[in-house]
Amino acid sequence: MTRLIPVALLAIAAVIFPLSVHQIFIETGIERELGTVQKIFYFHVPLAWIMMLFGVICGIAAGIQLRRESRTAEAFAVAAGELVIVAGLGVLITGPIWGHASWGKPWTWDARQITTGLLWLVFVAYVLVRRYGAAGSERLAAALAIFGAVDVPIIYYAVKIWKTTHPSNNVVGTLPPEMWAALWPALGALLATSIALVFIRARQELVEMELDDAWVQAESLTEQRDTAKGEAT
Amino acid sequence: MPSASDSTVALPQPGARAFRATTPWMRLPRQAWVMATNDLRQEFRDFELLATAGFFTLVVLVMFGLSFAALGRQAQPLAVPGMLWLGVAFVGALTLTRIFDRERESDTLRALLTAPVDRLAIYLAKASVTLMVLLGCCLVLVPGLAVLFPVAAVFAERPLETAVLVVLGCLSYVSVGTLFAAGLATSSGKNVLLSVILYPLTCPALMWSLVATRALLEGHPDFSIYLTQLAALDVVLVVLSGTLFESVLVGGSARNKGRTTRGRRRR
Amino acid sequence: MTEVVTPLELRGIGKRFGRLSVLRGVDLRVDAGEIVGLIGANGSGKTTLLSITMGLLSPTEGERCFGGAAVSDVEVEQRARIAFVAHTTQLYPRLTATENMALFADLRRAAGAEVAPSGPLLERLGLSHAADRLVGTFSRGMMQRLALARALAGRPGLLLLDEPFTSLDRPGRDRLTEVLTAERDAGLAVLLSSHDHDAVVASTDRVVLLEAGRLCGEARRDDGDRSLRAYRDRVAALGMLGSAVDREAANA
Repeated sequence: MTRLIPVALLAIAAVIFPLSVHQIFIETGIERELGTVQKIFYFHVPLAWIMMLFGVICGIAAGIQLRRESRTAEAFAVAAGELVIVAGLGVLITGPIWGHASWGKPWTWDARQITTGLLWLVFVAYVLVRRYGAAGSERLAAALAIFGAVDVPIIYYAVKIWKTTHPSNNVVGTLPPEMWAALWPALGALLATSIALVFIRARQELVEMELDDAWVQAESLTEQRDTAKGEAT
Repeated sequence: MPSASDSTVALPQPGARAFRATTPWMRLPRQAWVMATNDLRQEFRDFELLATAGFFTLVVLVMFGLSFAALGRQAQPLAVPGMLWLGVAFVGALTLTRIFDRERESDTLRALLTAPVDRLAIYLAKASVTLMVLLGCCLVLVPGLAVLFPVAAVFAERPLETAVLVVLGCLSYVSVGTLFAAGLATSSGKNVLLSVILYPLTCPALMWSLVATRALLEGHPDFSIYLTQLAALDVVLVVLSGTLFESVLVGGSARNKGRTTRGRRRR
Repeated sequence: MTEVVTPLELRGIGKRFGRLSVLRGVDLRVDAGEIVGLIGANGSGKTTLLSITMGLLSPTEGERCFGGAAVSDVEVEQRARIAFVAHTTQLYPRLTATENMALFADLRRAAGAEVAPSGPLLERLGLSHAADRLVGTFSRGMMQRLALARALAGRPGLLLLDEPFTSLDRPGRDRLTEVLTAERDAGLAVLLSSHDHDAVVASTDRVVLLEAGRLCGEARRDDGDRSLRAYRDRVAALGMLGSAVDREAANA
């Protein structure tokens, strides 16, 4: 049953995605000041939201992993953590392109930019520890993910204060309704895709753990057979 | 050669023996105190930590001085907080590594973990010793900055506020750092990972300290608010790290039969 | 005396690291007043088994019972009754012998546990002349003895020793055996691991063989011929079995 969830989500995304592209490029007018570059906004903002969402999900899953020693939670934490990196990469690439067009420079040390950047770093650290840490470091990585999730609001708020002393231009102004109308389908398509990816990746991780189980079982079965054979002869 | 027969320690049956377990709240402060004083006793024997960390602070300070001596008066309030907290971050990583290396070199951290000691007490002891060393280094760093940069003279003019700020800022760094340094010390090898973990994670805490320091230098009226917020952040970080400490170090129980501890895959 | 309780009982302990299965279904019971030796080749899982018993690792499956009660975590209450002498002696080199003893004595007292005075213990283990010397200047044998003194100071009901005979000379081994035997007679349960068969024969009442993560056999001192020589032969036979299992595993 769970096998069908990603398939269904990907199917939904496959339907919505062309529609949203149509909505973004054909139905919605070209923004007066920025021109066509503004279209990147419809991909940038959903990706940023997805990144934050899965950062928090990864933290929660890691918390469950530590408390309950749950394999499923561990698999989901890993999958969500990796998705944060992928989505974050998208955000960090599209952001400066858009920024360059709207403010004339790609990086302005805006609160959102710093939050995104730091969060991305934390989750890269998470994957690094999981991959290169010694035995037992999966618990350390889980703690890292929890701190990553907790850090999100803290960093954001800190930079906001930092900025109030030196006000800078606003990133997302008030949006006309037609832009929102184009944003939702794009968000839906990207969200469905990323949930599907997380499911697939988590399943992969679970299968890997089960494969380890099977390996151990096979090993002990072979051993038993050999001993039986040895006794028979 | 002493003979074994004359002074055999009486050993009643285990389980029949009178053992009144103290409540965690009774033993926690005492055990933390015992371990912290033990670390300090070792430190005062050769001053290794204070000497190396203090010297490193001095080197960092000189490097900052050389790099930023020509900074204009207007740029200084922006740069000095960064120097202060970057300095703390560098020295803190060095101190944390060294403190847990000491427990690693003779495997004594395991002895503490197998003793009837609350793991939280180990966390509190290590965090407080690290904090003390770090504050000792700040005694070099803060006056040094005040001498090198005219703007930082505020540190000398308002010593009380500066002290509170430095203590709170260092505490936020230490609370997170102790958890991860201890976690790395119990798993085998790979101390390089400490900087990989430590710097991104402590960024928010350091940024908050940065904001508060700048407010102090500029005489911003909101300084006390920032200080309160920093204190609140400290509470959050200490509680979170303390809660996670035991499960990171030794892992939870095997309540779930199906679980595995996943280590590095066999190559 | 109250009902006799079993200080340690392991039931179906298994431990895995990913694909690597270190322990499989280990059942082991150590009674009060008994010294049990755990033999097996390097990498057979002896240290892992002791670490699990001590609560440094949690088992993948199975349960640990102390004093008859199964526990999910080895909590402070259990750790107060168990002592562990690791292969790395886990002493602070910058502290003197007395200070090392005092540190753990203070920690135990704070937990509400009993502590034996360190002076007589140090004397009994032949360390009173070095009581105020830094442990960093100790020889390996002295450290081993100090670690044992520290463990006994807690008046444990169960003592675990990981490779205690390694790098000890003959008199050192004899002294260790002497102390362990005396404590055994006073009711202590001891589980020690070693790959040195001679030392194990001299000091234990029972030997179990751990091979490739499984308990493969047992030899008892009071099984038939009680002489030391007969016991030695039985342990040697057990060791042969171990290497046979090893060879088979290598061939497979």
